[in-house]
Amino acid sequence: MKNPHIIPLDVIQLVYAYALILLSLALARLQHIGHEKQLFWSSIRMLVQLIAVGYLLHLVFAINSPLPVVLMLLAMAGFSLQVAGSRIKKRMPDFYRVVGSSIIIGCGGVTVYFSLLVVGFSPWFDPRYLIPLAGMIFGNAMNGASLAAERLSSEMHERREEIECALSLGATSRQSAEEAIRNAYSAALRPTINTMAATGIVALPGMMTGQILSGTEPIIAVRYQIAILCAITGAVAVTSFLIVQQGYRRFFTDAHQLKSE
Amino acid sequence: MNMHQQQKSGNDPFVEFIDVGVTKLSPAGTNRLILDGISFTARQGEITGIIGASGSGKSTLIRLCNRLDNPSVGTIELNGQNIATIDPLLLRRKIALVLQKPFMFHGTLLENLQRPFMFRRMAPPSAGSLEIARVLDLVQLPAEMLDREARSLSGGEQQRVNLARALINHPEVLLLDEPTSALDHPSTARLASTLNNICQNEHLAIIVVTHDLYLAEHIVNHLIYLEEGQIMEQGVGTQMLAMPQTTAFSNFLAKPEREEKSSL
Repeated sequence: MKNPHIIPLDVIQLVYAYALILLSLALARLQHIGHEKQLFWSSIRMLVQLIAVGYLLHLVFAINSPLPVVLMLLAMAGFSLQVAGSRIKKRMPDFYRVVGSSIIIGCGGVTVYFSLLVVGFSPWFDPRYLIPLAGMIFGNAMNGASLAAERLSSEMHERREEIECALSLGATSRQSAEEAIRNAYSAALRPTINTMAATGIVALPGMMTGQILSGTEPIIAVRYQIAILCAITGAVAVTSFLIVQQGYRRFFTDAHQLKSE
Repeated sequence: MNMHQQQKSGNDPFVEFIDVGVTKLSPAGTNRLILDGISFTARQGEITGIIGASGSGKSTLIRLCNRLDNPSVGTIELNGQNIATIDPLLLRRKIALVLQKPFMFHGTLLENLQRPFMFRRMAPPSAGSLEIARVLDLVQLPAEMLDREARSLSGGEQQRVNLARALINHPEVLLLDEPTSALDHPSTARLASTLNNICQNEHLAIIVVTHDLYLAEHIVNHLIYLEEGQIMEQGVGTQMLAMPQTTAFSNFLAKPEREEKSSL
């Protein structure tokens, strides 16, 4: 499966690349930022993780069967959930159930739609397409999920007085939390909206750059990039929507009472 | 005479607490008794005052009335019906709660008064409507203020808007949680007279939680003294204040901060 358009990187070339990490370490030490150790270990972690993923992908591609691909997608969903959870200091009630089901439905649904209808590759589990596409969708939706869940929790906490005032005037749970829901959803979508607006001007996206480097025609690479950005926006929108819609209910009882913190 | 008028003209108990208790889980994981064995009746056309030091369970008690919280034991009845069997959204229109800190929604005074209608998905009354005029009159706010940003109003004015907004639902019971805590003496005196008028004109049952002896002395008919979640003494307000029957209530009245309040 050698690609004649690409220059393969050997170990010596990677060592040259790592010289840039050494340069970063030296500069960090010069500036006394105190993060040299962290920088060093992060670079080692990145090396080990990527080599492991490389071999895993090599194996999955070689097996070319649906089961390992599906298992890998589930692992991605699991890691997305774990990372989203670890980023949040104050989690909403039932955090893992709410965010987990939203990621599975939102990202899973968009991945299936995108694979079958937009790209239309065959077989449906083709790991060369499905794994990188799902990786990008899950990775980006995870950021949206973290933002939605975290903002919803903080809004519900900060707006406690407003919510109880509305409830005492006869509002439903949904009506009393409307502002909190709106702000949480808006916060989740904003980075994706900004990314779309800046793409192609401020930076060339990673996927497009990778495709161009591997010999794909720039116009084809651009089309893929447009399509994947649409998919990411859709996944972030659906996942965050499900999180705020399921999430706000967890702060109330069935009798429209705000649960104590 | 319709059913509503019949209910209001009767002299039956209106809100009745029957052996109500609340326990809450403390951060340490143990059960903490917040209220214990609370029994009293608040009648229509009367102002019932709940008085006690901070942490005595006053605010918890009032929140139980319109089901912002639930009792752990006992029942609360509204005109003979257990409130746990009433739809909470309907109940909160019948029993209005004015929270301690007047919260103003974004928008004008008029928009704040229209909020309860929007919650019920009903067309809100206009500035010139009888409904708006009625509540403005009850709380003595001029109609010229309707276009003012609610959040730019003074503390005393916001407390009036808070009260007017609660009254716009035509409640049968009005609950007030520390309504004078952020008010100066002239505003407190004005609010006391307003509450008296509302109680007489609207024939409501009013329950007011306070640590302010001015309110207790001037407007409360039935007074309840609460300490550590238990009723230590209850009776006619003026008699209780003139001649406390228990050491607990005497000690409460003798505290220096109480004397300051009573001299208001």
